[in-house]
Amino acid sequence: MSAGGGAVALPQTARPGGNANLRLKVEQASYAYAATDRSAPKFTLGPASFEAQQRELLAILGPNASGKSTMLKLLAGLLKPLSGRIEVDGTEVSELDLKVRAQKIALVAQESELLFPLRVWEYVLQGRYPYGKRLRFESDEDCLLAGNALAQVGADALRDRWMDQLSGGEKQRVILARALAQQPSLLLLDEPTQHLDIGGKVELLRRLRRLADENRYTVIVVTHELNLAAEFSDRIVLLHKGKCPRIGTPAEVYERELLEEVFEAPLEVESGYSGRPRVILRATR
Amino acid sequence: MRPLTPQRILGICALLCGVLFAVCVVSLRMGAYPISVRDILSTLFNAAAGRREEIPVEFWQVVFGLRLPRIALGILVGASLSTAGAGFQALLRNPLADPYVLGVSSGAALGAIVSLIVAPHTVGAIQIAAFVGAASTIAAVYFLGRRGGQLDSPTLLLAGIVAASFLSAIIMFLLTMVTGSELRSIAFWLMGDLTAPPPTTNVLGWLGFLFFVFIVAAGAMYTTSSDLNLILTGEQEAKHLGVNVNRVKFVVYIAASVLTGLAVSVSGAIGYVGLLVPHVMRMLFGTDYRMLIPTAAIGGAIAIVLADTLARTVVAPTELPVGAMTALAGAPVFIYLMRRRMR
Amino acid sequence: MWRDASLYSRGFFVGRKFTRAGRQLFCVIYFLACYGAVQAAAAVPRQTPGFKRAMKVVTDETGRRVAIPFSVQRIVTLAPDLTETVYALGLEGKLAADTTFCDTPAAAKLKPHIGSPQTPSLEAIVAMHPDLVLATTSINRPETVDALLRLGISVYTSDPHTVRGMLDSIARMADLMGANEQGVGLVAQLQARLDAVHSRIAELPLVHVLFVVWEDPLITIGQNTFIADALRWAGAESVIVADQNYPQVSMEEIVRLQPEYILFTGNHAESNDDHELSRLRTRPAWKALKAIQMGHIVQVDDEITKPSPGLVGAIEQIARELHPGVFSSDGRGESIELQGGVTAEIFANMLWERERDFCAL
Repeated sequence: MSAGGGAVALPQTARPGGNANLRLKVEQASYAYAATDRSAPKFTLGPASFEAQQRELLAILGPNASGKSTMLKLLAGLLKPLSGRIEVDGTEVSELDLKVRAQKIALVAQESELLFPLRVWEYVLQGRYPYGKRLRFESDEDCLLAGNALAQVGADALRDRWMDQLSGGEKQRVILARALAQQPSLLLLDEPTQHLDIGGKVELLRRLRRLADENRYTVIVVTHELNLAAEFSDRIVLLHKGKCPRIGTPAEVYERELLEEVFEAPLEVESGYSGRPRVILRATR
Repeated sequence: MRPLTPQRILGICALLCGVLFAVCVVSLRMGAYPISVRDILSTLFNAAAGRREEIPVEFWQVVFGLRLPRIALGILVGASLSTAGAGFQALLRNPLADPYVLGVSSGAALGAIVSLIVAPHTVGAIQIAAFVGAASTIAAVYFLGRRGGQLDSPTLLLAGIVAASFLSAIIMFLLTMVTGSELRSIAFWLMGDLTAPPPTTNVLGWLGFLFFVFIVAAGAMYTTSSDLNLILTGEQEAKHLGVNVNRVKFVVYIAASVLTGLAVSVSGAIGYVGLLVPHVMRMLFGTDYRMLIPTAAIGGAIAIVLADTLARTVVAPTELPVGAMTALAGAPVFIYLMRRRMR
Repeated sequence: MWRDASLYSRGFFVGRKFTRAGRQLFCVIYFLACYGAVQAAAAVPRQTPGFKRAMKVVTDETGRRVAIPFSVQRIVTLAPDLTETVYALGLEGKLAADTTFCDTPAAAKLKPHIGSPQTPSLEAIVAMHPDLVLATTSINRPETVDALLRLGISVYTSDPHTVRGMLDSIARMADLMGANEQGVGLVAQLQARLDAVHSRIAELPLVHVLFVVWEDPLITIGQNTFIADALRWAGAESVIVADQNYPQVSMEEIVRLQPEYILFTGNHAESNDDHELSRLRTRPAWKALKAIQMGHIVQVDDEITKPSPGLVGAIEQIARELHPGVFSSDGRGESIELQGGVTAEIFANMLWERERDFCAL
């Protein structure tokens, strides 16, 4: 930068060379729900802009009805944004072919309702579907990758078990393994801790953290759990009634007045053990 | 971890075809007319060698005029119904679905009854009218079974049940209006009858046409078999994995309905086969649809040929309708399956 | 729903290996068999093989053109009334087989059977090597006749709607079977009996009756059936006029119409008139009928339901019961001798029950 006038600092978001680590880029994306085409929208989301890198665990945080699920659907390409762009690995998500999209983005289900019994390895092998022709038979490579996926979640021993004989935690690991078998760039999870007890919640988030760190996934978790998000995520996107009041690290986002306004509860923010913020409920009586 | 391979599927199918062949040979042998296996084989070989004059007229009548057409038709109907049943069980996400649950057979029955009333002796009228009835029902239930423009399984099931009830009511009304002799024909047609005469004298051409339609419809369903495996673990999850769920549902719906309409137009409503054969094949060979569709087809053929052979020999010389036999044999099998599940 | 894992995916055959040689051998056998079958099937002719005997082409009563040999030695009948006709013509020596329901005369029960009239075994018919098969539209299915014709077997189908039509039918069938003289004689005799009855009651008004095919639901006969025609010959008329052959009617309608007599078929052969009457008098709607109150019920001989020579006997019986003053009192109790020694008896008629079953659909 030379001294004097005329030098313009490049805005943060414009990186002409492109960043190889940039997995997800959301630019001014917005969406609206309306009863019919012509009536006024009942709920508007956005416009929002944020990014996610490789090895990053991003939490989309907010109370109920703040637009978290809508945001997730936009990220997964299930909805097309009314304005703006959502790009994964440089391509617009909603324009991708179904199978190509499945190769890039894995949306992890909360549960699995099987009609007929299935073995764990068969289930995980189904995650290789996006990589074949229409009527496909799995190759050795598919089997290898499925085995790797199981190893990544530590469920190798469950390989030959029946799906409906698994415990809740084991099942979730297997569902996660199937998503990993897709070899995605982006891993999306919608309120994954909903049905788990505190031990299960911690175990899941630790695993996600490890997957992000060691296996280089980009993990995006939609949640309303304040403390878990603070503890495990790198950055947080805070949503409130469809708007995006703040995006940043937990320390940046967790400000008492902001959180109290968003979550409509008397809260207190303090510093936790690991240096990350912790939220506690102030006495209300 | 041993994934399914095409070789495995072909091997199992060859095994089942062998069983089918043996059943057909037994069926050729059995019947009221006394003819030994040697006579049957000599008739077949003489016919193959073109030496028609050396075959006694009655051998010809019995083997080529009576038994072989019945067996061929039985294979076709059994394969169609079982494949359709497997398809509907996946489409409706319901293990109790059978090919008739969406009202296709009631539509075909109505078409057949109308043709019996309006044009009782026209050759081929009953099959064409039955197929028209089936096709109309397929279209109507499709449009009723959509939600938001896409096929929705629970809505489809409800639409099918409504259609079946409505059509049955019309059939009952018509039955009280017919004069007399048509009633007997209708009753037999409704129970399932493999002796129905073909609409043309070119029996081989007729059978060939029917098999062609079967291959096309079953083949179309087979191309979606990997998709069906995924859809069975959950529609949303399948969508996230890249399956075009709407397209698959549409293809399976049309293919399974065409197969059902084909079977019902040709031989009336034979029950239990479409429901039970897929389950039995699942018990033997697994729930993967890439294996299930071909094995269900061959298994259904075996079941119908067996049932038909029993139907015409058990209470000789009277012939039971095939539908009665499948019901008699099918109900205990169904009860057994239910009890195994309860344990 | 089907969560019992052991029931499914383990799969009995999953995991078993087929040796390569075994598979190949199997394929070879299989394809050979298929090839043979295809060759055989490809040789199926477009027309059925013709007979080498002299044949005449005849149009039967359903309009079908059928080729029938000049010399008929083996006959198969597909209905009880046809069997009766064959016996009445004295041709029982040529009768090769009949149905399981053929019980009039009693000797017919001893003949080989080819099944029921509705579902005969086509193979059994072929095994009888028949020259001529007799069928009737009153009980046989057109599909059976079509199937036999396609096999090259001669089938003559009668279609009786009136009593006179039945007589013509008998004459024609007798001619086809080579018993022209007996046929003419039998028809003349039956016609004479009918004329005798007709001459006595021609001037009298028709008695209004209800002919009960089935009690519950109440089913009676339509005007196009030969039963209705037979009733007219006996000087009676059904109170119900309907196009359907076996219409179901409501009791209210009968109470409104108040028939003079009620006719039942001889299914209740065990019970006599008094027993029937006392039974009906206890039933709610039937009590209101004047015919029941006055005891005007008639148990009609079964033969009324079959278009066969015995029908004439049934007509005579009905005429006697309905017009008691006209016929002499010694007419009661006479058994009627038909040609060939057939005696009209009252039998339980399974055939009739079958008709009822299908009507009740």
